[in-house]
Amino acid sequence: MLRKKLWRTFLLYKAQFLSMILMIAIGIGIFVGFNMEWVSIEENTGSFFEETGFADYRLISEEGFSGEEQEKIRDSAGIDAAARYAVFDVDVAGFGDDALSLSVTEDASVSGFLVLAGEAYDDESDDGIWLSDRYAAANDIAVGDTLTLDYQRLRFSGEVKGLVKAGEHLICVRDETQLMPDYDTFGFAYISPAFYERAAGVPFYPQIHIRSALTKNQITDLADDVLGRTVMVLTKDEVLSYAEAKGEAKEGKAMGSILPVLFLLIAVLTMVTTMHRLTAKEKPQIGTMKALGLKDRRITRHYTSYAFLIGLLGVGAGLGLGYYIAWYIMHPEGSMGTYLDMPDWTLRLPLFCVVILAAAEIALTLIGYGSVRRMLAGNAADALRPYAPKKMKPLRAEKTKLWRRLGFGARWNLRDVSRHKSRTLMSLFGVVGCTMIIIAALGMSDTMDAFLDLYYDKATLYDTRINLADDADGAASEAIAGSYGGDTSAAVSARLEDKAVSLEIYDTPGNLVRFPDEDDHFQPLGDDGAYVCLRLSRAFDLSPGDTFTLRPYGGDDVYTLKVAGLIRSVSENIVITPAYAEKLGLSYDIHSVYTALAKEEIRDDSAIASVQSKQTIIDSFDTFIDIMNVMVYILIAAAVVLGVVVLYNLGVMSYTERYREMATLKVVGFKDKKIGRLLIGQNMWISFLGLVLGIPLGVYVLGVLLDALAGEYEMKLAVTAQTCFLTAGLIVGMSLLVSVLVARKNRKIDMVEALKAGE
Amino acid sequence: MPIVEFQNVSRVYTGGEHTLRALDRVNLTLDSGKFIVILGPSGAGKSTLLNLLGGLDSPSEGKIIVEGRDISTLSGDELAEYRAAAVGFVFQFYNLIPTLTVAENVALVREIVPDALPVDEILGEVGLFDHRNQFPAELSGGEQQRVSIARALAKNPKILLCDEPTGALDSETGAVVLKLLLSMAKRHGKTIVIVTHNQAIAKMADVVIRVKSGKIVSREEQAEPLGVDEVEW
Repeated sequence: MLRKKLWRTFLLYKAQFLSMILMIAIGIGIFVGFNMEWVSIEENTGSFFEETGFADYRLISEEGFSGEEQEKIRDSAGIDAAARYAVFDVDVAGFGDDALSLSVTEDASVSGFLVLAGEAYDDESDDGIWLSDRYAAANDIAVGDTLTLDYQRLRFSGEVKGLVKAGEHLICVRDETQLMPDYDTFGFAYISPAFYERAAGVPFYPQIHIRSALTKNQITDLADDVLGRTVMVLTKDEVLSYAEAKGEAKEGKAMGSILPVLFLLIAVLTMVTTMHRLTAKEKPQIGTMKALGLKDRRITRHYTSYAFLIGLLGVGAGLGLGYYIAWYIMHPEGSMGTYLDMPDWTLRLPLFCVVILAAAEIALTLIGYGSVRRMLAGNAADALRPYAPKKMKPLRAEKTKLWRRLGFGARWNLRDVSRHKSRTLMSLFGVVGCTMIIIAALGMSDTMDAFLDLYYDKATLYDTRINLADDADGAASEAIAGSYGGDTSAAVSARLEDKAVSLEIYDTPGNLVRFPDEDDHFQPLGDDGAYVCLRLSRAFDLSPGDTFTLRPYGGDDVYTLKVAGLIRSVSENIVITPAYAEKLGLSYDIHSVYTALAKEEIRDDSAIASVQSKQTIIDSFDTFIDIMNVMVYILIAAAVVLGVVVLYNLGVMSYTERYREMATLKVVGFKDKKIGRLLIGQNMWISFLGLVLGIPLGVYVLGVLLDALAGEYEMKLAVTAQTCFLTAGLIVGMSLLVSVLVARKNRKIDMVEALKAGE
Repeated sequence: MPIVEFQNVSRVYTGGEHTLRALDRVNLTLDSGKFIVILGPSGAGKSTLLNLLGGLDSPSEGKIIVEGRDISTLSGDELAEYRAAAVGFVFQFYNLIPTLTVAENVALVREIVPDALPVDEILGEVGLFDHRNQFPAELSGGEQQRVSIARALAKNPKILLCDEPTGALDSETGAVVLKLLLSMAKRHGKTIVIVTHNQAIAKMADVVIRVKSGKIVSREEQAEPLGVDEVEW
């Protein structure tokens, strides 16, 4: 019998029940979706790295490594596997300006790949090319086709034996300046050591890749001992694919652990108010059941089952929504698919999400339990009495002069707010929460835009970057720099304590490359010290005036540098001028030339390795931004929907509680519009107050988000006036929409029915 | 001179396959300045009659003429204006706004009636001036009903409509409230219509109209109605 009552009560309060289910579903959905996204990235990339034997360390030496050295390293204690490794960019003959990152590993279990189609890898094959499946698909290349790859004076002509994916090329970009892969023009391939030896004669391996559980210091000491010279040691965290995958997961984690928690909180707290009001409304029925002889336990079970059922449906729908959101952000055909190249895109539900889902269900059930226990308090006669709202007491503000100036509507609303504090607080919390989410989400976008604007529109004023060939001599480099009239730079890999950093020497007479300080002001580089990027300055606690030592890889020299200033940078680097480099005793061999000329105006030259237009870099940033914007849009859409549902739910509650008052006003002669204005007025006050509180809190949350991402980006928090106005517009619009929807109900007030019963 | 005229007024409620004729072709005239009691058992249609007269409801057929104006065809807003200007209500359960003080409950009519009577003056008349800053929940039932009377009179309407005004009060308090209601109506020259099933109240009326099953079964003019103190409750 009670089961029938349960379903009928569901139907009776369908709007409230549906809104509660929807609130829970949105809260859970956003929480689960965002957390599934980063966990899926972490686990899928992790297993991909594992399967392809992604190296934990790489030793790098410009002089290269001999087979004997590799064997010594491999046979050392604590080393699981070690292989000589070579990677270089080759041109693809017959495919325009296409290039491939061509890799050779002496042991396919170290920094290897997965064959998805064609023949298995054969390390004896002297003409086999195992090509990136994405590049092959983008360029209509199939297994069995012949490719000719050129690297300086070397030519690799062979047959495509298989199509592959590789952990090393999870993010397949030319270098750190290209943010997004472009498989139409750039891919990767593997050839066997046999093929490499046949084409090159004497193979040159500048890297040894190592799989080992040792620490970086242990590996460094081991390499020093075994090799008898200092070589550059990179951990996998310092390798682009690994670092970016980890960064992407970290970014998702930051996004998933702050804003979605707010969604959950809003949903659960609103549920407390709604369940309490529902059971309050049902109090006479609760009392009747008690009076009829039903035990408290049975009545409690009956009413608790409402909350349990709402929770179950909400959590179930939320789980479905979470899967959809996670899939939307992370699927091979989506924007994440254009970034990451991996075989497994399985969506993974983390254990902590399952725990949260169970906790949410338990919390919701307890909310229902608590609500009904309150109504059951006392004997049957107590329970039979309708729930009476708190008696009105004068507000402190009523003693002020301002109060006397307030109109009837303001007084009515202020007293209502004071009488129904929890409902008002929940509405306020809903508005504040939505404002915070929207401000933080839009602010994230603003911050990224401001960073890109600063970096690409203001800091880099060149049009084209010319990367010089490794074997270009000083005279040729000077000639190119001279003929294109630009700024120049060189980069030296060096060790700062145990971290590999890039020491960059910039000569900027043309002012085409500029360096913003912490406050985004551009400072001319001085010749008396080094300019350290914010991330390194934080990591090593460096401030202007401090000194630090650098050990360039490939030698035993140690340089002591003084910090002249801090700069905001895209990469983790230290910048000095050629004059300061000279003072330190470092030579300046130009690697790159920056010019205001267009890419097309750069003539072919054997000293030029590649030419990049700034626009290409900006375009790849745009795609990168798109991935983040997907999250931003999902957050905003969910915040608006949740806000509408929360406000509508609380608005209907307010309407129901004031139904009798409004009927009285109507009887006295108030028109529907005037009563509607009173209702809308209260919602608008709450919205404005919510905005006033929510905007600074949203900026604060954004700051926390950026702090969590401080290791990834050197962005300065930016929230534009446009974002504030847009947020205010969305919140006010949302509030107005809900108020109008609720206020429209006035027309249906049945004055006769409403005034029949006593309060 | 009639202030109210019902011409063949019916009110039919339909719910699914069932129809309920709450008022059935009622013809009625009420004279200005009189104290009229509409008497009848529960479900007789007396409240429906009062609600139609008060503009809370509209008839299914027929005309209701109040001061020469047909109110049966008025729109929602026009009915609101009519309620604001022409009638004052006193209900069994007072229907005060719990979040407004006594004075504010009375003053709220000033929001819609520009020439409403001064609040303090009217509160003084009902003996509640000293309670003006209290909330309804702090008052007794009789006091709350006096606030309700003050609010109804503050609009200075032509007609006072009262639906079981003493129904929620004990007989002693009910008599006090009724006495106040009648004296106030007389002092302000109002037509007062009370709907009740209490036979005792009928003895005080100028006109007693008996209703049964949606029809008027009798109309009785009393030349010498009893005073409140003369009635045995």
